[in-house]
Amino acid sequence: MELANTLSQDGESRGGVLAHLERLETQVSRSRKKMEEPQSAQAEESALGTRIHELRRLRDKLRAEVKQHQASVKASTTNVEPDQTLEITEQESLKRKRENVKAILQAYRFTGISGKLTSRGVCVCISTAFEGNLLDSYFVDLVMRKPLQIHHHSIPVFIPLEEISAKYLQTNIQHFLFTLCEYLNAYSGRKYQADRLQSDFEAFLAGPLQRNSLCNLLSFTYKAEPEGQFFPFCARLLYKDLTTTLPTDVTVTYQGTDALSTTQEEQRAAHEDLFFTKPLHQVFTSFARKGDKLDMSLVS
Amino acid sequence: MDETVSEFFRRTILKIPLTEMMTILKTWNFLSENQLQTVNFRQRKESLVQDLVLLCEENRASLNDAALLDIIYTQFHRHQKVWDVFQMSKGPGEDTDLFDMEQFKSSFKKILKRALKNVTVSFRDAEENAVWIRIAWGTQYGKPNQYKPAYVVYYSQTPYAFTSSSQLKSNLPLLGQALTIASKHHQIVKMDLRSRYLDSLKAIVFKQYNQTFETHNSTTPLQERSLGLDINMDSRIIHENKTEKERVQRVTQEIFGDYPQPRLEFAQYKLETKFKSDLNGGILAEREEPLRCLVKFSSPHLLEALKSLAPAGIADAPLSPLLTCIPNKGMNYFKIRDK
Repeated sequence: MELANTLSQDGESRGGVLAHLERLETQVSRSRKKMEEPQSAQAEESALGTRIHELRRLRDKLRAEVKQHQASVKASTTNVEPDQTLEITEQESLKRKRENVKAILQAYRFTGISGKLTSRGVCVCISTAFEGNLLDSYFVDLVMRKPLQIHHHSIPVFIPLEEISAKYLQTNIQHFLFTLCEYLNAYSGRKYQADRLQSDFEAFLAGPLQRNSLCNLLSFTYKAEPEGQFFPFCARLLYKDLTTTLPTDVTVTYQGTDALSTTQEEQRAAHEDLFFTKPLHQVFTSFARKGDKLDMSLVS
Repeated sequence: MDETVSEFFRRTILKIPLTEMMTILKTWNFLSENQLQTVNFRQRKESLVQDLVLLCEENRASLNDAALLDIIYTQFHRHQKVWDVFQMSKGPGEDTDLFDMEQFKSSFKKILKRALKNVTVSFRDAEENAVWIRIAWGTQYGKPNQYKPAYVVYYSQTPYAFTSSSQLKSNLPLLGQALTIASKHHQIVKMDLRSRYLDSLKAIVFKQYNQTFETHNSTTPLQERSLGLDINMDSRIIHENKTEKERVQRVTQEIFGDYPQPRLEFAQYKLETKFKSDLNGGILAEREEPLRCLVKFSSPHLLEALKSLAPAGIADAPLSPLLTCIPNKGMNYFKIRDK
């Protein structure tokens, strides 16, 4: 060893014969190991392979046994009471079908017009909606007779039902229902807007909202900012067309005693436009939102 | 405060029963919470009324405030008055009714004041876009009589108005005119319908009394009507004419429906008909002139009573159409003549 140590300082070529032999020895043993590895791996592989075959055979055997068992069970049950089990499942499926149909019939009200046959005719249900909100439902109970008659109904007295039925009930029942639907949906929509304004934006109004039964004339004094005690504008909305939810006439006047400045005039004109084009409560929602933002003037 | 106004306050507050005093005063909303707290509501009514009148004086109450209190009292005690119904009509092809409540009120008042200088007109808004109007009539030279006012209840954009029967009948045409013009109608006609029950009258003319409708969404199925028989009844007891009873039930249900009947106190039939008889001869059968008589049916709840007649076995089913047509036709005064 001492010889090796002293000699290693001079490099490999100097190591001497012993060192060289050592190196060769390790090389051989390494290569031998490498040659043995695939052999052992191969042995392992083959062992595993046989194991896999065995397991597969066992699995197939068990599968066959299970199938056999199932078949024998089925055979035994079918021999006992075949009809009853069939009946029960038929009954169940019929029941499910019936429930399904009932549910569909109930869901029909979401289409806006639905009906149910009665002993004397049909009871039509008109379900109104506005902006995706389901509102009140109204009913017309018709008697199938010549001439067609309305037995009773829940249409409000200020909706021109007599007019509409005089025009269409006997000649074109579809048109009758669609026209009625138009009037009722528009009324519901207008009422919804007025109710929203009264309940959600009380702070923006000075005094109560003036309205009427059809909600086709609305009058109110308001401000466009949530803060402040001054209510500078007075609006008057007329809905001359009873089949629409947006006004046909809008007048916004400035209430202040001092002269109208240009910004206020711009505001006034802008508000008029807003009331014409957007539903009432949405206009006030935008007023409320403007109050949250700082530099609205720059954005608009 | 004027002596007469003060007296008017005293008599109006005196009318209010003690049990309702607080509620009515709060609805009136003229005396503040603090003021009401200073009053002893447990004392004798006379002294309570005196205290309240003093408070009204403090607040400088006007005749209009007193009239408003009177309206509220009447709203709470609407059954104390007998109500008539008027029907208005428009011309054909009229524009959409853009009813403005403020315009209506000012127009109504103006028309009355123009015709009769001495008149007090007061308004109170009510639910469902309706208005209660109180009118105290005066004469050319006399101040309005505050103790015999007329009331009108009007639902906007409808053709109907309900009026308390005014003692002063001469002012009725003027009232009708004011109503018609202010609500932008052309004609007004008095209906043959009268009752103490204002809400029932409303239900009848607005056709709101039958509000049960068949839908797929209703969970209760059409119930089989029982004959009122107890299930626990002795099985040895048999109903002889079961089919007839069932028929009567069915017919009654078809005519009167399942809904609660509107409340009326009477139906009156003025007959001017010739006597009709199955028998030949008899003194009355030979009579050429029609007989004049008045038949009046009275009841605390007439329609429910009529509904129970046939099931109770007192009358045959179906009942005479003269009796069953009352809510449909909106009439409880009939004049029947030979055709």
